[in-house]
Amino acid sequence: MTTLPPDFADLERFVPDWVHADAPARMAKRQGSTIADIKAFYQAMLPRGEAVLACLRGHQLGDLPAEVETLLRLMLMLAEVAPAVEWYDDPAVYDGFPVGRICYTRLISDTGAQA
Amino acid sequence: MNELATPPVPGIGLTARYPEIDTGPVDTAIYHEPAAYAKEMEAIFKRSWFMVGRTEQIARAGDFFTYTLPTFRQEILVCRDRDGHVNAFHNVCTHRGNVVEHRKEGHSQGLFMCRFHGWAFDLKGGLARIRDEEGFFGVDKSCNGLKRMPVGVWQGFIWVCPSDEPYQSLEDFLGEQGRDTAGYPWGACTQSYQFEVEVDCNWKLVNDSPAEVYHIPVLHPNSAAPTMMASGNIMGRLLGTEIKGHHRTNSHYSVMGEPKPVQKLAYFHAAAAQNVAVDDKGYELPKGINPTRSPWWTVDLIQFFPTIGFTLSAGMYTAHQVWPLGPNKSLYQQRVFVRPAKTAAERFGQENTMVEFRDVVMEDFSTLERIQRALDTGQIKQFHYHDHELALRHQHHVVTTILAEWDREQASAQG
Repeated sequence: MTTLPPDFADLERFVPDWVHADAPARMAKRQGSTIADIKAFYQAMLPRGEAVLACLRGHQLGDLPAEVETLLRLMLMLAEVAPAVEWYDDPAVYDGFPVGRICYTRLISDTGAQA
Repeated sequence: MNELATPPVPGIGLTARYPEIDTGPVDTAIYHEPAAYAKEMEAIFKRSWFMVGRTEQIARAGDFFTYTLPTFRQEILVCRDRDGHVNAFHNVCTHRGNVVEHRKEGHSQGLFMCRFHGWAFDLKGGLARIRDEEGFFGVDKSCNGLKRMPVGVWQGFIWVCPSDEPYQSLEDFLGEQGRDTAGYPWGACTQSYQFEVEVDCNWKLVNDSPAEVYHIPVLHPNSAAPTMMASGNIMGRLLGTEIKGHHRTNSHYSVMGEPKPVQKLAYFHAAAAQNVAVDDKGYELPKGINPTRSPWWTVDLIQFFPTIGFTLSAGMYTAHQVWPLGPNKSLYQQRVFVRPAKTAAERFGQENTMVEFRDVVMEDFSTLERIQRALDTGQIKQFHYHDHELALRHQHHVVTTILAEWDREQASAQG
């Protein structure tokens, strides 16, 4: 049983660990992961990015099939971990303020229609 | 075309345009002394207006939100009445002082009922109902409504003033800076993320953090520097700093460098809010935005003294708001406003923007508590400002000028 659209079955192995419900959960996942695990996810996702986005462009928010929703959440996780790989080589902001002290007070829905 | 291909590197000379501002090192006392902070509270904060939300949050009659003003610890209730007016009240029941509306936001059918004893207030704050009224000794409902708080709307932003009699109108408070930046499509960015964090530092340090880019090549080598220093601007200089009364605007020079791989996906395959590229949305920017009209402009920091600034590009903006909590404690709020996404791909573009902004600010904030410790322990007593740190020098100038004026007012009142 797959949870992603058939064309993206190769990414299925990341679904259990890297799909999270909202931005605070994604931030916590990045901060709680090793940079090695983050890189393994990033390096598998990046070459598939254009194909994933081509698929996501064909789907309107507010009307996402479950497997597209899961695919989108993998991409949102890619956005979350990108600075860890591309800027810091570390899950945390290098020499930065502890991101764990911030508190989200307003979120944009991952999947809902926006007006 | 040649001119566009080789952008000029900004020069020095910003400070010289404002001869009233000194160029020497500045005294750091106002960054940590409790007495200075106490004076700032009277002379600056109680005389200012504070942004608390957007009109879109209360689009329909009966819509409301509540908030506790962090600096003043005052409970407020903001709602829209049936005439379409935005009202702000002290969210305090006139019976015995409990919070009237305890929910963060929502929709009222027309009455706000205190959950303590059931007194009920209408959308204009009027005391509509006293439960078991006959047991009271002639409470006059007509003069025991919710106490109004001065409120105003500018470009869809709702502002309140913590003093019963505002020192100046909202329009005067926003001044030329407000007039020159009105007309930007503030309301088009309907989607927003917000986070907040308590930082152990003076409120002015929080303002200082994004207000100079002299630090960009050193503090942000991998994140912001590749675009902001591209094409020879190796010192990361500004296009300009415009001072308007107590307010100021920094214009940022930036050239689209080579984006990082995930940025490329966001910018080129998920058309959505971008924080670097200028897009053409078919409107003329008001004159206070990209005031130098440089083709190399990407972002302005539009600061409304004392506590709110907007990092603003053609397609999106971020509000940076600081609430002083003490001489060396502040609450920082970052609210990223972006245009609505239609497709799932655009939703990815939004997330990329939000994460980038958050992480760059975390880079900035690494310095704040360290600086505050040096201030509190007396290890640094002067700051030396670069020409392109003019915004910081101006803030210092404005604060010290206001406090000196306050001292004179107090002396003449006593004397």
